[in-house]
Amino acid sequence: MLTFEIKHQEQYSRGELLLRSFFGFIYIALPHAFLLMFVGIASQVLAFLAFWVILFTGRYPQSWFEFQVKVQRWSLRVNSRLYNLADGYPAFGLNATDDNVTFDVAFPENISRGSVLLRGLFGWIYVLIPHGIILWFLTIAFMFVNFFGWWAVLFTGKYPKGMFDFQVEYLRWNARVGLYLSYITQDYPPFSGKRDEVPAAAPTASAGENTDA
Amino acid sequence: MEEQKNPLIENVNSPYLPLPQPDEIPEREREDAMGAYLMMFAALASSLPLPIINLIAAVIYYYVNRRKSRFIHFHSLQSLLSQLPTTFMNWGLLYWFIMIWTKEAWTYNDYFKGYVIAVILANVLYIIFSLLAAVRARKGRMYYFLFFGKLSYDMVFSKSNTLVYKGEREAPAENKPPF
Repeated sequence: MLTFEIKHQEQYSRGELLLRSFFGFIYIALPHAFLLMFVGIASQVLAFLAFWVILFTGRYPQSWFEFQVKVQRWSLRVNSRLYNLADGYPAFGLNATDDNVTFDVAFPENISRGSVLLRGLFGWIYVLIPHGIILWFLTIAFMFVNFFGWWAVLFTGKYPKGMFDFQVEYLRWNARVGLYLSYITQDYPPFSGKRDEVPAAAPTASAGENTDA
Repeated sequence: MEEQKNPLIENVNSPYLPLPQPDEIPEREREDAMGAYLMMFAALASSLPLPIINLIAAVIYYYVNRRKSRFIHFHSLQSLLSQLPTTFMNWGLLYWFIMIWTKEAWTYNDYFKGYVIAVILANVLYIIFSLLAAVRARKGRMYYFLFFGKLSYDMVFSKSNTLVYKGEREAPAENKPPF
């Protein structure tokens, strides 16, 4: 169960839009990317080890799982700004919270070892190739929509809802595929970026929890 | 016959705190303790075959997790300390190999061959014992390496250890026994 939302603001700041467009690389992308690089290495190491741990124990270590969710949350928080989908400066840190970007994944108590083995060995065939081809076309569409969205915000101060939703769904789709391939989620990612249907209350790796890996 | 002591009951005269028993240790703590030993594969996971990577991973893991509980602290410390000899041996091998490769005076002599075999043996033993320790930690059990086990136990479970753990009292206890 994945929850990923970016709040569609009533009004977007044109000043911030221009600032991000011209200097966002320096004051948003660079500092965050520098820190995320180190966190990303740790995330990669844990993802590799998690594969073996799940194979032997049938469980993703909860601290590691929460760490991976936090890394993903941080990354999406930054991307949402760089794509101009949210105003404000993205907070630094794994435990930071954000009013505009919500990201959560339910912790699976037990994981099918067979499914993990299948993903580890053949994930690139049955997940990466089919999703990758579609996402490649969607990436091109995303770039166009993002470009037109930029002008829309500049002239009107509002982000057209259709354009906004398309981009959020694209990011959600991407995130789902990545999470599935890194054993965080268990269900084969749907060929869509629509929201997951909410089942009965499930335990989640919530942002406020103090869960250092 | 010597009286069997109950490890669950704290002996006030002992310089050590009682050890947590498997049924008292939450699964999450066991997993975190197990993870400490898996840091030996960090170099493999990050695709950087440098001897220092595992040590860096173990150091980071230790500092991030040590305050969670004494059980995690013990295992992550033992994992970290036990990595030092093999890391130094691996560095030595790398240095020797680079010298042979770059300097004419250095050759593949029998000393070098002997050292290679010793390093391989040390790494194999280290991996085997670390995996055993990881399995034991996952079950909520203690596992003591030669020398490093005792050292880690002394540092973590000694009453002189002043580190404050999550869930343990931060303020000094006000109620004390009458001796």
